[in-house]
Amino acid sequence: MDRNPLGPSRRDVLRGALAAGAAVTLSGCGAQADAPHVVTVDQWRQFKGATLNFISENTAPTAAIAANTRPFTDLTGITINIVTLELTALVQRVALDLASGHAQYQVIYADPYQVLAPYQRGLVDLRTMQADPNLPHLPGGIADFIPAQMDAAGRFVDPNAYYTLPYDAPTMIWQYRRDLFDKYHDRMANDLGFDPTPSGERTWDEYYRIANWFNKHAGSDVKYGTGHQARQHDSLMNDFSNVLWSYGGAYFDNGKEVGRIGSRDPGPCRLDSDAAIAGAEFYQKLLAIADPASTTWDWDGVGAAFRAGRLAMCPNWHEFAASNEQVMPGKTGYSPLPRGPVATANMYGGTGVGISGNTRPHERGAAWLFIVWATSPQTQLANLKSKAGGGTPTRTSVYELPEVRAAEKRPSPMPNMLTAAAVRQAWEPDKIGLRPKIPMWNECNTAIFTQLSRMLTGGATPPDAMRTIKARVDQIVARGWVA
Amino acid sequence: MTHAADHSPVLERARPETAKPREPRIGFEGAMMTPGLILLAALSIVPFLALIAMSFSHVRLLGGVSLDLVGLRNWARFFTDADMWMSWLRTIVYFVLTVGLEMVLGVAVALCLYRVLRGRNLLLGLLLLPMFVAPSIVGLLGRYLTDSTFGLYAWVLRSVGYSGDILGSPISAFAAVVFMDVWEWTPLIALITLAGLSSVPQSVREAAAVDGAPGWMTLRYIVFPAISNVLLVALLIRSMDAIRYFDIIWVTTNGGPADATKIVPVRLYETAFRFFDLGYAAAIGLAMLAFSIFIARTFVRLLDVRGLTR
Repeated sequence: MDRNPLGPSRRDVLRGALAAGAAVTLSGCGAQADAPHVVTVDQWRQFKGATLNFISENTAPTAAIAANTRPFTDLTGITINIVTLELTALVQRVALDLASGHAQYQVIYADPYQVLAPYQRGLVDLRTMQADPNLPHLPGGIADFIPAQMDAAGRFVDPNAYYTLPYDAPTMIWQYRRDLFDKYHDRMANDLGFDPTPSGERTWDEYYRIANWFNKHAGSDVKYGTGHQARQHDSLMNDFSNVLWSYGGAYFDNGKEVGRIGSRDPGPCRLDSDAAIAGAEFYQKLLAIADPASTTWDWDGVGAAFRAGRLAMCPNWHEFAASNEQVMPGKTGYSPLPRGPVATANMYGGTGVGISGNTRPHERGAAWLFIVWATSPQTQLANLKSKAGGGTPTRTSVYELPEVRAAEKRPSPMPNMLTAAAVRQAWEPDKIGLRPKIPMWNECNTAIFTQLSRMLTGGATPPDAMRTIKARVDQIVARGWVA
Repeated sequence: MTHAADHSPVLERARPETAKPREPRIGFEGAMMTPGLILLAALSIVPFLALIAMSFSHVRLLGGVSLDLVGLRNWARFFTDADMWMSWLRTIVYFVLTVGLEMVLGVAVALCLYRVLRGRNLLLGLLLLPMFVAPSIVGLLGRYLTDSTFGLYAWVLRSVGYSGDILGSPISAFAAVVFMDVWEWTPLIALITLAGLSSVPQSVREAAAVDGAPGWMTLRYIVFPAISNVLLVALLIRSMDAIRYFDIIWVTTNGGPADATKIVPVRLYETAFRFFDLGYAAAIGLAMLAFSIFIARTFVRLLDVRGLTR
């Protein structure tokens, strides 16, 4: 073969190409550029040209924001990309992103139990951002956020630090067919011996009797009195916890604090207490008369069954009001959940938005602009009006706006606001239901709903189920958590 | 065979008189295989070694992945975890049921189809349809079909007196996910068997018919011996797949109710990607790998005995 002795050989060319490829790859994997920064008097325009990635659960407020990000881009010059996922997938992505050392997602939808508690050290303490004179401050300060939500969604262990800003606030309330309660009110009152109108003053025992009454006397209108989200899933723990707390049970000693601020070492589980067992016994009794499909439903399943006219009532997240009103306009009523022998509890499922600790300084500033904007009163009001989302404001000032107040009554342009009276009561510090905010909650939660599922399918008695949960949770907590 | 270069006068001069010609450490074949081996190492061997290291460690995520050695703790937990043993038991029951049913039904369908002369291709096309559906879509279909509110199968079962919820009770939920897998993969067995049946000599079958052999004897002494090797390959393919079954269960039951459908792959996923206990998950993953290798080796040995691996 004729070859030029002075020119590079084929091997040299191959080596060079490999070296160049490796260099390009390594440089791609290595340093990540910070966001651009321009000197300007307008604090909102200083990161013009930056691009942010926001990872969020597929919830109503994010759907509303994703449908119209233009106002934020117009205000800041920042492009925002929104990735929406189911919560489990989101937690995986966030954990892996935090492990990578680089912030592919600068803004994180941080569920207090699955992201904030286990990965708090990977999130920015937002006090540093609020104190930065070069950045815009939160309109109304953090005091404008509903206090119980600020603690539950934003803080972890340190009662002063906050890592997220409350972004949404789904809360479990009693949803019922107002038309059927009106129709049967007198007959029911006569048969049951009490006013059956749903309210926070009804008891769980009365709820049971109302459900049973519907089962027996209203078959032409509705198939079952009640339905529940009792699938082997997070939803089962949520549904059960309302009853547990109202019967005086608790997951841990000092359960309110473990729920509100959180703990890394919550101590021994207390589900073997008499109160917890009584709650479990009642829950099993209630599910025995509920729609049998309850054991296959999560919140979406029970919501769909309710909208399909199969159920007279159910406990479910208040943000389902928008879809209820779409399918059955004017037929649904909302109230806080019934009380038990000891207390009232309405499970809170709200979440905050935070900033990844892996962000670079300007990225972090740009991310702060986004979370301030996304949780601002104007954006929360726009979300409430959005056709794409719905939204559940987390700021006191939004609920005080005249147009929002007006929307609490039918016909309402903001259907989620029809639940405002119920959730306002549910968010009172003594009525809000806060599950334990501990880093190992995901595994504890799985142990809890698995044993509850065993109990509901006849595999364990309530005392056995509660004692097994206690033993497993203690084991998990004893192993500790190292993120 | 020697290379011409070995006799080059230049090389002869450079070598000491007494030294033997040196064999290159990596021969031509080795050099050709090197890129492939490097790729294989990057894709399999390095992750495998990392997995072994992880199984003896606690894996930290924040601030970059790091391993804290914990000795045999993950393995001790693996061998003493009662829930894990229950999952293995369920996996084996599930494995036997799905693969067994698929083999029986697949062979039966293939035998029926083999007798069809007109429209066989159309029937075969229809029969193969489930195989082309993604398993997660099969799960979604199954969930809708068994939904007690609007599900077709739920309605059919109600009309014959079954009042329970199919995915709501442990036994029926387990049966449902087994049937979903059987529905999807029986066509594959049927297809492979049909290919095997085509290779059975027609003259032998005709001879058996002329001799008056009844149908079952023809099957027992002529057809099955002739297609047994093909069936063994089908069994191997399905077995490897059944061990790592995940999608349908995750979509339909999430492992419930009461853990009735939580087989080992579901538990592995949960441990790794929900609890982020990656050290323990590595131990579970390695045990699954060992189980898969055991099953694969068993079938390969059977094929080896029949001389089919050469």
